[in-house]
Amino acid sequence: MRHARPLPASDPALGDLLVEGLEVHAPDGRTILAVDRLQVSAGATLGVQGPSGAGKSTLLHAICGLVPVAAGAVRWGGTDLAALPEAARDAFRRRALGLIFQDVLLLEELSPLDNAAVSAAWAPRAERGAIRARAAELLVRFGVPQSGSVGPLSGGERQRVAAARALARDPAAILADEPTASLDRETADRLVADLLAAARARGRTVIAVSHDPAMMAAMDRVIQVVDGRVRQ
Amino acid sequence: MTPDDLWRALSDPAQDLALTLALLLPAVVLAALALRGQAPWPLARALLLRFRWTNLLFVGLMALSVGLGGALLSQERALRQAAARAADPFDVIVAAPGDEVRVLLATVYLQPAAALPLLGADALRAIQADPRVSLAAPVAFGDSHDGAPVVGTTTAFLDRLAGPPTEGRPWRSASEALAGAHAAVTLGETIVPAHGHGDAAEPEAHTGAGLTVVGRLPETGGPWDRAILVPIETLWALHGLASGHAPQEGERLGPPFDPDYFPGAPAFVLSGERLADAYAIRARHDREGAMAFFPGATLARLHAVLGDVREAMSLMAVLTQALAAAGVLAGLVALARLFARRFALLRAMGAPRRFVLGVVWLYAACLLGAGCLAGLALGWASAGLVSAAVSARMDMAIRASLGWPEIQLAACAFSAASVLALAPALAAYRRAPVEDLRAG
Repeated sequence: MRHARPLPASDPALGDLLVEGLEVHAPDGRTILAVDRLQVSAGATLGVQGPSGAGKSTLLHAICGLVPVAAGAVRWGGTDLAALPEAARDAFRRRALGLIFQDVLLLEELSPLDNAAVSAAWAPRAERGAIRARAAELLVRFGVPQSGSVGPLSGGERQRVAAARALARDPAAILADEPTASLDRETADRLVADLLAAARARGRTVIAVSHDPAMMAAMDRVIQVVDGRVRQ
Repeated sequence: MTPDDLWRALSDPAQDLALTLALLLPAVVLAALALRGQAPWPLARALLLRFRWTNLLFVGLMALSVGLGGALLSQERALRQAAARAADPFDVIVAAPGDEVRVLLATVYLQPAAALPLLGADALRAIQADPRVSLAAPVAFGDSHDGAPVVGTTTAFLDRLAGPPTEGRPWRSASEALAGAHAAVTLGETIVPAHGHGDAAEPEAHTGAGLTVVGRLPETGGPWDRAILVPIETLWALHGLASGHAPQEGERLGPPFDPDYFPGAPAFVLSGERLADAYAIRARHDREGAMAFFPGATLARLHAVLGDVREAMSLMAVLTQALAAAGVLAGLVALARLFARRFALLRAMGAPRRFVLGVVWLYAACLLGAGCLAGLALGWASAGLVSAAVSARMDMAIRASLGWPEIQLAACAFSAASVLALAPALAAYRRAPVEDLRAG
């Protein structure tokens, strides 16, 4: 039997996240997020709470390099993501971060395994087998079938496929935006338990934006974002 | 060895294959650039399945444009080939001075024409005195039976044109006739030719002159297949003219003809033993009081004039394909937008912009490629149907089939479309993922 090569360590030296003097502006120049200082140790779990429109998602987008920042630094270990051009930020996310969104946006025409292993499509050929193997392993762990269509899956199962998709490359940090928002209590609890167990087992950092008090209670630390400002 | 020498050293199929591959090269290069190092097929397949009915419509549109172009061009080529094939047995035609094209149409294609001036005894003398002429057949027309032309000529020429009868036997008397392969008469049937053709035909003009069909000729693929062939002496007799032979010769049929009793013929078909003879014959009989020409050369001149039409048809085919491709690509831009949030998610996960470009390009290229292939199949299928219809109308066996020009046209269309497919791919490439993620 042929074994997939193990994934290369995603970025063991990623280190802590340190955000300093961060400002994100709207297209009209208005400041929509300002963070004086935020530090998250490698392997810690951080919850981000706050009212709708306060800037939680923008914070998440800024620390994963999806939005350009107007000022400040977003340092993951020695890498200042804010100073990198778009292609380099893409490459960094590809290498080091896993993302989960409230809207799972699965590809309905693909199987759960193909969805979970979708990042293999743009990975170097040598890594594709390992990504698929890990995606399959995660689906087994999360109790989701690998084959068939994703259409008949429940909301919780779909969100677990999305979690497996985020974890399939074994990223050093997982960023989640309202991952339990559309799930019932029981399903949400199971997803949080699965996600945190998988992350903690590998010493991975988790930063989750959520209105879900149960999820926040499971995190090491929780911060508030109000009117674009972080309150620790 | 120069590139020119190398090219000439290749066989025709090898040249065609090389040209086709060269035409596909832009698409191949683009594919290599867009897809290198990535595996976008599962995502492109998802797009193909997601919008399957719209995709089918796009493939159909592209197929229709490629198929239509292919069918038109193959038909035009088949028509030219059939026309050339039909003219092949007519080495040199000698007629009274006038319009070569008119004589060609009347003699080779049996197209009804106003009465042609006749070649007289002087021309006959010259022809019969020419040692290079191995076959000299007077041809006369102007009568018809149930819409089919009745043509007077000699058995020697019919032997050359079609070969011996496949049914029955050659005529042995002036009251017998042979049927062309597809002439609507039966063996043993007695016919009475009408004078003239179509609406102007006079069915009663030759009443009493019944001709019995005694044989059927093999198929030639030309208009003579629908004709009823009779000894030229019979046609002369029907019109109250001399028989072409001295009275003491009795009911003689065929050459040599006696110039003193020769009533004239609108055309002679001449052949020589060798190619050089044909040139000598044409030169010798193209003189005062007669014109001699190669039907093939006249046809080639006609085709050269019609070459512009072919160019126009090719251009129209390319334009139709370009319009279809543009329509499909505009539709793809809209469809790709429906997938924008999923692409945004992939980009958020770190997928390079080039990956999104590759997925959309591959999706578009699959549709356009499938359209071109389906178009070739459609062109192949429709060529047969159109050929049957045109054959019936033109009295010629037209066998259109897709050839290298149509394959190359489709290859060219695919390459051009694959370049244009960069448009929806670039539209997806340029989208900002955050805006699309927030749009949900």
